[in-house]
Parts: sequence; structure tokens; C-alpha cells
Amino acid sequence: MKILIAEDEIDLQQSIATYLEKDGNVCEVVSDYNDAAYKVDLYDYDLILLDVNLATGSGLDVLKKLKKEKKEAGVIIISANNSLDDKLDGLDLGADDYITKPFHLAELNSRIKAVLRRGKYGGDDTITFNEIKVDTKSRSAYIDGKVMSLTRKEYDLLVFFMTNQGRVLSKEIIAEHLWGDNSDLADNFDFIYVHVNNLRKKLTGEGAKYIKTAYGSGYKFIAD
Amino acid sequence: MLLSTIALYFYVKQLMQQEVEEELFSTQARIEKILHLNGLPYSLPPVVEIVPVQQLGKEILKDTIIYDPSQDEMEEFRELSSFKDINGKNYKITVRNLIVESEDILIAIILSYVLIILSVFLIQFYFNRAKNVRLWTPFFLNLEAMKRFSLSSDVPIPLVESEILEFSDLNKEITTLTNKVRADYQNLKQFTEDVSHELQTPLAIIQAKIENIINGDNLNELQFGHLTSIQKDIQRLTQMNKRLTLLTKIENRQFVKVETINVSELIQETIQNFHEISNTEIRFSQKNEIIVNMDAYLAQVLCNNLISNAIKYSPQEGRIEVSASEKSLSVSNEGIKALEHPERLYSRFYRESEAVKSTGLGLAIVKRICDFYLFEIHYSFQSSKHIFTVKFI
Repeated sequence: MKILIAEDEIDLQQSIATYLEKDGNVCEVVSDYNDAAYKVDLYDYDLILLDVNLATGSGLDVLKKLKKEKKEAGVIIISANNSLDDKLDGLDLGADDYITKPFHLAELNSRIKAVLRRGKYGGDDTITFNEIKVDTKSRSAYIDGKVMSLTRKEYDLLVFFMTNQGRVLSKEIIAEHLWGDNSDLADNFDFIYVHVNNLRKKLTGEGAKYIKTAYGSGYKFIAD
Repeated sequence: MLLSTIALYFYVKQLMQQEVEEELFSTQARIEKILHLNGLPYSLPPVVEIVPVQQLGKEILKDTIIYDPSQDEMEEFRELSSFKDINGKNYKITVRNLIVESEDILIAIILSYVLIILSVFLIQFYFNRAKNVRLWTPFFLNLEAMKRFSLSSDVPIPLVESEILEFSDLNKEITTLTNKVRADYQNLKQFTEDVSHELQTPLAIIQAKIENIINGDNLNELQFGHLTSIQKDIQRLTQMNKRLTLLTKIENRQFVKVETINVSELIQETIQNFHEISNTEIRFSQKNEIIVNMDAYLAQVLCNNLISNAIKYSPQEGRIEVSASEKSLSVSNEGIKALEHPERLYSRFYRESEAVKSTGLGLAIVKRICDFYLFEIHYSFQSSKHIFTVKFI
């Protein structure tokens, strides 16, 4: 996928690009409004990450430009502000999602994949990984065609694993994804362990092997 | 005024009396002179009476009442009787003078005097009152304006002008002060928003870098452990920043939206959410539905923080009880003994026990929300349970 990253903090910009490129995405980066507007005019992207605060302008203005020119890219707004009003403003203007700093790259990755799935540019509602199939529209998961009865969190965890294949996912990253602000409660992270184990069981012998332990306390979803 | 009226009365009375007596003595002397010059004794009762007597007596000056035919009534007289030896003969000369009229004059004087005082007094009174009103109205209007003044006002405080120099000066100072306060407040509001932005960006950068390192090569388990530990620390910082910002925003009255919230439903949803993170048993009982008008987000935060706090401080096998009745919501968790410093419960960063890693801001936020909407919040320790009760209005 072709992704444009509009972020004024160079370090952050680079980190995001590095992470996304690992999946084979093509990433372009810009730091200010003018460059962003220029690139958006010239090229087509599958997805655009827009920081609200760009040098020389606001990411929201780029968004307005995109909508005016009827560009088909998916848009995710990045903001430091947790304000609900800002969120609504962004979504009202036509953004597909809104993520607040600081975020885990795995989380960003998930959101990007979700936007692309929902997308109007040939996105597919299903995620497939070998024997595992997930229909995101109906929120149902199948292994070898057989339906799995997963709890809400187990479903979320499975999708998270599948969209972040090959990535090392620490317990902190998983906790933040599943429980957001309340992740500080799962202090000893026993719960993560329990959920992952339950998921492994439900994936049966076939699917369980994909969830590997990484570095003793982390996980990696990967084919052999 | 009163004293001078009384004094005047007595003085004038005294004067008049003196005048009458002088006249009596004068008349009497005149009569004596005429007699000496061989005038004939005559009588003009009751004003003058000359009577020959055998013995001489003492001079008498007194008041007496005599019928006066000209007035056809009893009149009061001042009488002077003196005994004189004139040309060898003894006479009693009695001279009298009406004092009624003088009394009338006296009363007339007093009356008009009193009347004048009264009218002057009344005129002064109303005149002063009108003047006072004109003088003080601006002051009281401005006092009202000050009471109604709000920090978050967009416009300067509306003060009424006054001709009085001191009030005018006061107005100037109040305007300067309130303008400064408003400017400071706007700065603070802006600061809140800026802080959030400024702090979260560096945190985002650190977090992103660490995640890339985790996904890199040549990492061993020990290093992974360190890195994930750093991730936990960043999470803590982020959490703290978010909560501090929220706290400040509530204090700055940045949450003005009001919706009708079914708190009973909301708390049940919250409990559901927590079931997935924690093994702690949470029981819910409801007597009434609690409906409150408040900001939806703050309602969520309120419920979330109360339960989160209960879970954090609940012992391993402990049970949390949540109940909704009347307009009150109470959350209780088991405990060994009562909190040592309940008065510090809602202070920022206060943690009863250092063993529990929390921001120490959860309850501070709950309290701030309650203060904002004038809800009451109580803490009590009963039957080995810490109980927090929020009374909505």
C-alpha cells in the first residue's frame, strides 16, 4: 500500500515509516502543510496519516483539500489532544479514524489496516491467514471453515495478532490495545496470559502454533 | 434641636416674665410718684388698686387669677403689692398685669420654631436621601457586577461611572484587576492545551522508537525486558498527563455540554468492561434508576474511576459492591482498617498505600467532577468496607 505520512516531528515520522515499510508498504514523508498539499495534489495514496499540527499549517486543512478534490485515500488523523470535540471535528471533516499520541505502532498498524478494509478502494472485509479466516463485518472468526466462539476481547486479540503478523507484541502493547486507559489495572498482566491461552485453545492445534512467545514475555503471530 | 427648643422656651418665658415684672415695678413707681405729688389715689381694677392701710407690710410679687369682665373669663395676672408711706399716709399699691397674652406669644414662638425645625429636617432628609441614592447607586450596581463577574467572561466587567473621585479610582482598579485575571485565565486555558500537546509528542517519539527496537534484530531477553519495562513507564507518564489535563480542564470549566445520562446503566456497562480485566467480583444492586444531567464523557470518567479505584485497593479475594438507590451511587471494597488520612483522599497524587501503583489522580478527578456539578461525595469505613458514595442532584 502507498502511504503518506504527514508529521512534523522527524523522529516520529521516521519511526512510523520504518515500521510500516516492514510490511512492504511504500511510505512517503512530509513535515509541513505546503509539502503535504503538494504531494496530495500530485499523487494518489491508499492511506494518509495526518498530524493535526504541521509546520506552516493544520493537518485538517489538508483533509479539507482532500475532500474538496474528492481524493479516495483513507485518512487517519494523529493528534496530541485527547479532546472529544477535536475527534468529532476531524471525523466530521471526513477522516476515517483518529489516534492520539502517544500510540503504539502496532496499534497504528491495526487502525490503518481497519481503515483500508473499510475502504472504498477495493478493501476486503475479511482477513485470512492460512486456516484462519475473520469476517470483520459480522465479527466472526473461522478456523478450517469451522466457526470459533470467541469473546469480544479474544476476537479483538485475534484480529490484532493477524494484522500485526511478524511483529513482536509486548504485553504492554496488547494491554493498551485491549483496554486503553484502564490498561494500568492489568498490572501483573496475568490477564493477557489468560486471554492468549484461551485464544490458543480455541484456535485448536491448527491455529495455536501461530501464536509464538517472543523473548519470554512477548508474543509474535507468525507462520513457521 | 430638642434641647435648644426647651432652652429657648425657658429663656423666652424668663424674658417675658422679667418684662412683665419690670413693667409692674415701673407702673408702681409711677403711681408712687404721682401720689407723692399729691395725686389722688384711684383704682382701676384689676390693673391698679390703691388702698390706704394702717400698717406697712412686705412687698409681695405673685400670680393670681381674677375675673376679667372685658374678656368675660378668669384670667391670670401677675400681681405686685407694695406698701408705701406717702406724705405721712400708708398705702397698699397693687399693680397687676395680664400674662396670658405673653404665654400665647410664647407658645406661638415655640410652635413656629418647632415647625421650622421640622420642615428643615424633612427637607434635609429627603434631599440627603436623593443625594445618597445618586451617590451610592453606581457603587451598589458595581458591587453587583463584581459578584456576577466570571473569570471566563469574554467581556470586561461592566462598571457604572461615578462622579465621586474615590469611586472612579476604585472602578479603574477593579477593571484593571479583572482584566488581568481574565487574561491570566485565558493563558492558563491555553497552557492546558499546549501542555498536553507538548508532553505527548516526545512520549510518542520515545514509544515509537522503542517499538522499532523491539522488532529489530539482535535482541536478547534481558534487553527485551528492559524495553518493555520502559513501555510501562511511558504508559504511566501518558496516563498521568491525560488525567492531569482532564483535571485542569474540569477546573477551567471546559466541559459545558449537558446530556441526560442514565447512571445506573452506565455503571453496569463499566462493571462489564472491568470484568474482562479483573477477576475481582463486582456485584451490582439497584433500587432506583439514577438519571443525571451532565457531560457524557465526565459521567464515564466518574464511573470508571470509582470502580477502578475500588479494584486497585481491593484484596485478592475481595468483593466489590456497587449499589444505586435514590439519587446515590455507592461503591465499596473490602479493607482491613479505615483510611488513615481520609481528608487527603481527594488530593492530587495522594495514595493511601505506596504498594498500589496508581497515578493518585483518579479520586481527585472524581471529586472535581462532583464539585463541578455540586454532587456530594462521602467516604466511610463500615464493617470492614471502604465505602464511597456519590449523591447526585
